[in-house]
Amino acid sequence: MTDRERNGQRDRGERENPTPKEAGNREKDAGEAKTKAAAAAKAKAAAAGKAKAAGAKRPSPRKKKKEEPLEPSPKQPLLDQYVQTVTEKVGKETVEESYINRPNGHLPSMVIKNDRWAETARLLREEESFAFDYLQNLSGVDYEEHMEVVYHLYSMKHRQGLCIRVKTDREGASVPSVTEIWPAAGWNEREVYDLLGIDFPGHSDLRRILMPDDWVGHPLRKDYEPYDREV
Amino acid sequence: MIRTEEMLLNVGPQHPSTHGVFRLLVKIDGEKITEAEPVIGYLHRGTEKLAEDLTYTQIIPYTDRMDYLSAMTNNYTIVHAAETLMEVEIPERAEFLRVIVMELNRIASHLVWFGTYLLDLGAVSPFLYAFREREEILDLFNELCGARITYNYMRVGGVKWDAPEGWIDKVKALADKMKEKTEEYDRLVSGNEIFINRTRGIGGYSADDALAYGLSGVNLRAAGVKWDLRKDRPYSIYNRFQFDVPVGETGDLEDKYRCRMEEIRQSIRILDQAVEHFPEAGPVMAKVGRVIRVPAGEAYTQIESPRGELGCYLVSRGKDKPYRLKFRRPSFNNLQILPKLLKGENVANLVAILGGIDIVLGEVDA
Amino acid sequence: MMGLLKGMGVTLKTMSKKKVTYQYPDEPVGMPDRFRGVQHFDPEKCIVCNQCVRVCPTDCITLTGRKHPDPGKRGKIIDTYDINFEICILCDLCTEVCPTEAVVMTNHFELAAYSRDDLFKNMEWLHENNTEIRSENNVNAKR
Repeated sequence: MTDRERNGQRDRGERENPTPKEAGNREKDAGEAKTKAAAAAKAKAAAAGKAKAAGAKRPSPRKKKKEEPLEPSPKQPLLDQYVQTVTEKVGKETVEESYINRPNGHLPSMVIKNDRWAETARLLREEESFAFDYLQNLSGVDYEEHMEVVYHLYSMKHRQGLCIRVKTDREGASVPSVTEIWPAAGWNEREVYDLLGIDFPGHSDLRRILMPDDWVGHPLRKDYEPYDREV
Repeated sequence: MIRTEEMLLNVGPQHPSTHGVFRLLVKIDGEKITEAEPVIGYLHRGTEKLAEDLTYTQIIPYTDRMDYLSAMTNNYTIVHAAETLMEVEIPERAEFLRVIVMELNRIASHLVWFGTYLLDLGAVSPFLYAFREREEILDLFNELCGARITYNYMRVGGVKWDAPEGWIDKVKALADKMKEKTEEYDRLVSGNEIFINRTRGIGGYSADDALAYGLSGVNLRAAGVKWDLRKDRPYSIYNRFQFDVPVGETGDLEDKYRCRMEEIRQSIRILDQAVEHFPEAGPVMAKVGRVIRVPAGEAYTQIESPRGELGCYLVSRGKDKPYRLKFRRPSFNNLQILPKLLKGENVANLVAILGGIDIVLGEVDA
Repeated sequence: MMGLLKGMGVTLKTMSKKKVTYQYPDEPVGMPDRFRGVQHFDPEKCIVCNQCVRVCPTDCITLTGRKHPDPGKRGKIIDTYDINFEICILCDLCTEVCPTEAVVMTNHFELAAYSRDDLFKNMEWLHENNTEIRSENNVNAKR
């Protein structure tokens, strides 16, 4: 890497955010450079050898990358074991989906059906092979068609994390409360109720926590219209 | 005939000892507290809603203002979440600069805690001494990034500025000075009989309670659970440094005080090592392009801020603005145990127990 | 008893040391070079690329430009440029993206005024605010 590249210096005439015309020009230049390089490569290949020339294809400007199957994640067996235990102990269609979240440190993730969530949560806390006793995070997300509540759990005994997602509809959104299992969820569920409007039956004290008590509406929803738009 | 009733005491949002705009409704019977109910939301500024409309670089000044006493760790939270999803590699020098500023910020934040906690207990001198040292740390930050509290220093892919000439030597001099000063604080406070009477055996809780309530940081370690995200879920280059994690036993206020003072000493140790191995020259920013687009996906990353586990749950749809950004704030979660701790205590211990949790209202309300 | 006496010893020793406080309004406090203070604007250098408006997290910059009066030259020149200091948080993102360093920061920070209208600064005021400009503003600028 040259010094100029390292310090981010550019040539004169090259701006950070080019206007579309300039961007087009730049692409054209790059394209010309590419075809020039391709032509040079072809010439070299032709001059190199007959056997090589026979196999040398004409380089296309946009090569399609072959999708290679990813190698299996090291946490996959663990995830399979979790899915199996939950299906055995709670019921057949409890786990809707299960996958490994690769960028996030290969975190096992499961999507649990809404009406089975209360039993599954108790199982996650009390079952020996799970022992998820630490609730790291509880958050609500508003996808436009439905809403979700996402839990991140951690087991101190096995040093393993887990992500659970529970879906619910937008109208009459409700997810069973887990405050009795993990008291840490108390205020977090109040916050999700306040900002997104998801009801948590079983919560002992569900009321607004961050917004004023007489506020109408749930601000974090995607279709929320603020009262005073111009300010 | 004397008749006693239960009284409702409002420790109102405007109070010198509640560390911000925090309201506590306390029902007392004589001197004993029977019930306490915290009311928050006076500093809610809608950071999460605003973040859905701002690009990743524009959110960084907003994160500064969440936990305003340790803004570097806040900056790092959002930057780390974006970098985890983008899977970009950070240059060495940028990583070292990040660790140095985060540890300096940890020392500064613990000094504020030390000063204000002892001020709540009634001692005025430690406040001045703590702020005298903190002033030097803030001057260092002023030279590095141009501001004393709201730094806006980290960027996705690295840091904004490189360290100016002679800055690293000043950091080393400060680390040496802090070693003597922690001895001075120890002599001033730790043996003081009044302090020991006010903090030993008060506000304790068990490790199971701490885990159930989702506490983190010193609140969890003082109860006996050895859990520090810098060691157990290492991020950045913390796995290259040697440092100990102080653990308490009973979770009472004296254990929390000792844990925090020991953490200052361990941070100084990390600073010494970082300054010694600081790379000579190099880029401070990875090649990430001008407009930062995070690939679609979701991630939850957590770091150890001076108050506990600061996490960021990021849902991205592949654009240059996040779809949903949620901050898991340690003070918000740590405050849940307050009603349980205060039940049955004397009113006089209320301020001490609240101060021991170390909350920052900007973070509680986001 | 010993703990209290040791503590008293520390405080008494500190009494003999030098003062660490400044008498601020009477003596000026110098800020280091990289300090983010009030902006300085140079209309000659501005090319009306709108980057500063787009990157501002609080949308406090408003500008208008008009076509260059000289028919030979391309591009626009700046007509009005206002920064609303009620909401500017001095975060420095506008100077970071300005390609020509037309907007730079100075080391001034004293902006207190008696009325809110005084906080809406226009191009002339920003141009005249030209002392103590800091030296590094944008690593990618064309000089």
